[in-house]
Amino acid sequence: MTCAFSPTGQSVACGGLDSVCSIFNLNSPTDRDGNLNVSRMLSGHKGYVSSCQYVPGEDTHLITGSGDQTCVLWDITTGLRTSVFGGEFQSGHTADVLSISINGSNSKMFVSGSCDATARLWDTRVASRAVRTFHGHEGDVNSVKFFPDGNRFGTGSEDGTCRLFDIRTGHQLQVYNQQHSGDNEMAHVTSIAFSISGRLLIAGYTNGDCYVWDTLLAKVVLNLGSLQNSHEGRITCLGLSADGSALCTGSWDTNLKIWAFGGHRKVI
Amino acid sequence: MVTTPTRDPSSNVMSLPLPSPKAPPEYPDLYGKRREMAKVQMLEREISFLEEELKSSEGFQPASKCCKEIADFVMANSDPLLPTTKKNRKTCRLWKWLCRMRCLNLSWICCRCCDCFSGCCNCKQNCKCSSCLSSTKCSLSNWCCCFDKKSHCCKEFCGCNNCCCILSGCNFRWPFPSCCDCKCSCSCTCPSFPKVRPCGSCTKC
Repeated sequence: MTCAFSPTGQSVACGGLDSVCSIFNLNSPTDRDGNLNVSRMLSGHKGYVSSCQYVPGEDTHLITGSGDQTCVLWDITTGLRTSVFGGEFQSGHTADVLSISINGSNSKMFVSGSCDATARLWDTRVASRAVRTFHGHEGDVNSVKFFPDGNRFGTGSEDGTCRLFDIRTGHQLQVYNQQHSGDNEMAHVTSIAFSISGRLLIAGYTNGDCYVWDTLLAKVVLNLGSLQNSHEGRITCLGLSADGSALCTGSWDTNLKIWAFGGHRKVI
Repeated sequence: MVTTPTRDPSSNVMSLPLPSPKAPPEYPDLYGKRREMAKVQMLEREISFLEEELKSSEGFQPASKCCKEIADFVMANSDPLLPTTKKNRKTCRLWKWLCRMRCLNLSWICCRCCDCFSGCCNCKQNCKCSSCLSSTKCSLSNWCCCFDKKSHCCKEFCGCNNCCCILSGCNFRWPFPSCCDCKCSCSCTCPSFPKVRPCGSCTKC
């Protein structure tokens, strides 16, 4: 369900329905079949691992979000949980956590999105309660992503909208909502990403649309789903390259596509 | 109820009374009670968290300030996915319309989108123009009108007496008559002596 590169690119983490986050060291030798062996298994979640991200600048720490309603900060060196955010005896999400995003400007802060229709801001030094809870969505919050300046974050939801929140005040600053052509049912947002300047918000939808929103004007400037060679199924994930020059989208049509300004290349 | 043993008349043996079923003893449901109390404590804790949050929200800055911060950040950073040479004409038209609305004080953003037009720029802040003409009145103090010499202004010294004005890119009225691209034309007369070079270098408008 989720995977992430470490900041140095030396290892990869991935998690899913086995409730475990597995770490692979890319420098390790492969077996006869060319497969890489797991170098560390992070066990402890009581539900599926929906999302994971390495703490920026640290190959040894990782945060996961889980179907057990918690987020966990892991020490990869020991394989142990450093902190648990939420859960049965602590204030936190009341339904599955579907997405997390760590603040690139302050790695002590991260946000989580959940099936309880809220997003929550956490301080890794204070696990007992969320710093702030953000209400507004009317369905599962499938995706959360920090705005490049680190003071705002975006969300994408099952209610078909994306929203922009301010972490310091809790204000909901913008709603990105547009009827999709030819749809009787509303398309859900599955994944979001910001361009490197924050001017663009890219959102993938269950009907194969991939809207590029102008963050300031809340207008759709482009629908990648309407272009030639667009995906033929639900967009499930998307992400920008480190230099912000290319976008990659993944879909139920089994394809990964790379989009760059003025061009299009397909990667199988 | 305790029944007393009875003696069987046929024998001399004392027979014990038949056991009578009793209801199980009532143990206190400590586990359920403790669980409910824990839930109540958690709810009370959530209430105190929300009260703290309500108190702290009184000192928050207005949302408009947050929006301005976003706009400032976005405008200050380049983006490989956005064109840098070609202007987004649709967005420019929208900003031009917005910037002409005098009731909206959008001067802080008007000068960052597209060219400097119909308003005043703060020349200290990333003015794309190469010169600021402070003589033109601005509605904001310490601000000046910013002109981009390339597209909106004529060369100050054309070097010729006559200027042919080609109105390229001038879609607004300015008090300066030289808002045009300059093409100079020279008028010359040929001397009578045949050894002098003819006027082949003169071009007309």
